[in-house]
Amino acid sequence: MALDASPPSDTNVSIVEMSAINKWYGSYHALRDVDLHVGAGERIVVCGPSGSGKSTLVRTINLLEPFEQGHLRVCGIDVRADEITRAARLAINRRVAMVFQQFNLFPHMTALQNLTVGPIFGSGVSRSEARRRALHYLERVGLTDYADRHPAQLSGGQQQRVAIARALCTHPRLVLFDEPTAALDPEMVNEVLQTMETLAREGMTMIVVTHEMGFARRVADRVVFMDQGQIIETAPPDRFFDAPQSARLRTFLGQVLAH
Amino acid sequence: MVGSGLELTTLFVRESPVAPRVAPATVPTFTERLRRWLLPTPAIGVVSMLLLAVLLLFGAHCLDWALVQAHWRGSSSTACPDDGGACWAFVIARWKPWLVGNYPSDQLWRPFTCFAAFALFWTWVVRRPNGASLLRVLQGFILLPVAFFLLLIGGGPLPVVVPTQWGGLLVTLVVTLATFATALPLGLCLALGRRSRWPVVRLLCGTFVEAMRAVPLLAVLFIAATLLPLFLPRDLTIGLFARAAIAFALFNAAMAAEVFRGGLQAVDRGQIEAATTVGLSDFATLRRVVLPQALTVVVPAVVNIMIVVIKETTLLSVIGVSDLLGAIEIGAKSPDWVGEPNILTSGYVFLALAYLGVCYALSRYSRRLELSR
Repeated sequence: MALDASPPSDTNVSIVEMSAINKWYGSYHALRDVDLHVGAGERIVVCGPSGSGKSTLVRTINLLEPFEQGHLRVCGIDVRADEITRAARLAINRRVAMVFQQFNLFPHMTALQNLTVGPIFGSGVSRSEARRRALHYLERVGLTDYADRHPAQLSGGQQQRVAIARALCTHPRLVLFDEPTAALDPEMVNEVLQTMETLAREGMTMIVVTHEMGFARRVADRVVFMDQGQIIETAPPDRFFDAPQSARLRTFLGQVLAH
Repeated sequence: MVGSGLELTTLFVRESPVAPRVAPATVPTFTERLRRWLLPTPAIGVVSMLLLAVLLLFGAHCLDWALVQAHWRGSSSTACPDDGGACWAFVIARWKPWLVGNYPSDQLWRPFTCFAAFALFWTWVVRRPNGASLLRVLQGFILLPVAFFLLLIGGGPLPVVVPTQWGGLLVTLVVTLATFATALPLGLCLALGRRSRWPVVRLLCGTFVEAMRAVPLLAVLFIAATLLPLFLPRDLTIGLFARAAIAFALFNAAMAAEVFRGGLQAVDRGQIEAATTVGLSDFATLRRVVLPQALTVVVPAVVNIMIVVIKETTLLSVIGVSDLLGAIEIGAKSPDWVGEPNILTSGYVFLALAYLGVCYALSRYSRRLELSR
C-alpha cells in the first residue's frame, strides 16, 4: 500500500513553529509556554496523561482553538495571539489536515463525497479532478468498494480510514492526528495504525496524539511528553522510552508500559 | 463413561446446521383480539362498555343529524327547516364562495389552475415514493405562492382581480403558501442571526423572536390590521390582505426560527471542526455541512408549523379577510340562507371536516418522513 501524498521531506523547512504559546479555558491554564518546532517530513508523537493539553496543542496548530499569548507560524503563515483572523485560520486549514478521534465524517454524504467536498468547495478544485483524487486516496486506504457507502454503513476502522483519505485529499503539508485510534474497537486499531505508518514512511509531516506507544517507537522521529499543559520532555523514541530524563515521564511510562 | 477427551468432543459435533424453530404464533383470533382490547380486566371491561355505549348513542345521534335527517337539495333556507337535520344544501349550493370567494365567475380558471398546480406539486414532488430532495420541496414552496399570486391578481392581458375579491379555500391556500414562502426563509435567517458573530445582529434577531413568541397571533393580526396603517406614510396603503399576510409571515417566522435553532444546535460541533479542517469557509461549512443536517432534523417540526399555519388562517376572518371560515359566516348571513340555526352549524361542521382532512393528510406525511429516515 502506498499513499504517495507527500511533498519531499526536508527537515530544514519549518512547517510549525510555536513560540511561548499560552492558552486558558476560563481560568484553567491549558497550555503553558509551549515551544515546538516541526520540520517538513518530521513525525512527531505527542503523549501524556489525560488533561495534559495534548489535544489542545494540536488543535491550536490549525486554530480550532485560539490562544491568548505567544506566536504561531504554520506553513509560512504568521499568527499572533492578538490577531487570530478567520482568514489566517482558513489559510492554515487549506494547508493542514486533521484526523479526529470521533472520525467526524459528514453523515449525510457518501465516502466519496466526504473526500471531494473539501477540494471542490474549499480549494476550488474541479469536480472531475476532485473525484479522481478521491478515488485515488480511497484506493490507497483500501476502500474503493465503499465509495458510495454512507459513514453509518462502515465499521469504525473503515470510517477512520475514510477520514484519513479525506485529510489527504486536500493535499496537505501537515496532517494532525488527535487520538485517531482511541474510539476504535481493539480489532480495528491495527488497520488504522498501518495506514498511518504507510503515510509516515512516505514522508508526510505528521503530528500524532496517541497512547499507542508501539506506534510511537516504530514511527516517530521525536516523541513529546506533556503534563499539565507543559512540554516536559522531547526526545527520539529510543532515548524517550529507554532513558527518560524527568521523573514525571518515568512515572507515566511505568503506568503505560506496565501491562 | 471414562472415554478419552476426543470421544467426548465428537459427541458434540454436528453434521448439519440447526434448523431454526418456528416462532410461536403471535396473531390471535379476532375474538381474542377484541377481548384483549376491550376486556383485559373486569374493571376496564366496565369502562369499555360504558364508553362504547356513549359512543354509540352519540354516533347514532350524529348519523341521524348528518345523514338521515339531513337536507341535501335546495337553494335557500326554505330547503332547511330547523328540524334536527344538517343543511348540506347550504354547503353544496355555495360551493363557489367556499372555494374562491367573490372571484369573478368568468375568471375561475385562474384559481382552479392554482388548486390543480398545488395538487400536482403535492402528488408528484412532495409525496413521491422515495421522497424528493428537501431542497426541491422547499423551492416549490417558495416559487408556487409567487406564481399563484401573480396569476390570481392578474395584470397585463389578464383582468386584475384585487385580493378583496378572493375568498374561501383560495385565501387559505394562498396565505398558507405565502407564509411558508416567507416565514421559513426568514425564520432560518433569524435562527442564523441568533448565532451571528456580531452582537447587534444577535440582539436584534433574539429580540424579534422573543417578542413575537410572547404576543398572541390574534393581537399581531389586529396590530397589522388597525395600527400598521397609522405608522406608514399616508400615500403608502397596503391592502388588508397583504397586511394580514405580512403579520402571519412575521409571526410564523419567529416560530420557525426557534425550530431551526433547535436543528442547528443538533449538529455536532465536530462536524463544523471537520469542515474547517478540510478547508471550507464559514459559508461553505454552513451550506454544505451544517444546513443539510440541521434541515433534515427539523422536517417534522416544520410540517407541524405548516399544520398550525393552515389552522391559524381561520383567524383571518376575525379581522375581516374572508377565508373559508369568513365565507361560511358571510354565506349564512346572506338573504337566501339567513334564519335557520342549523345552516350555520352545518357550515361549521363542513369547515371542521375540511381542515381535519387537510391537516390529517399533512401529519401522516410528516410521520412518513420521520419513519423513512
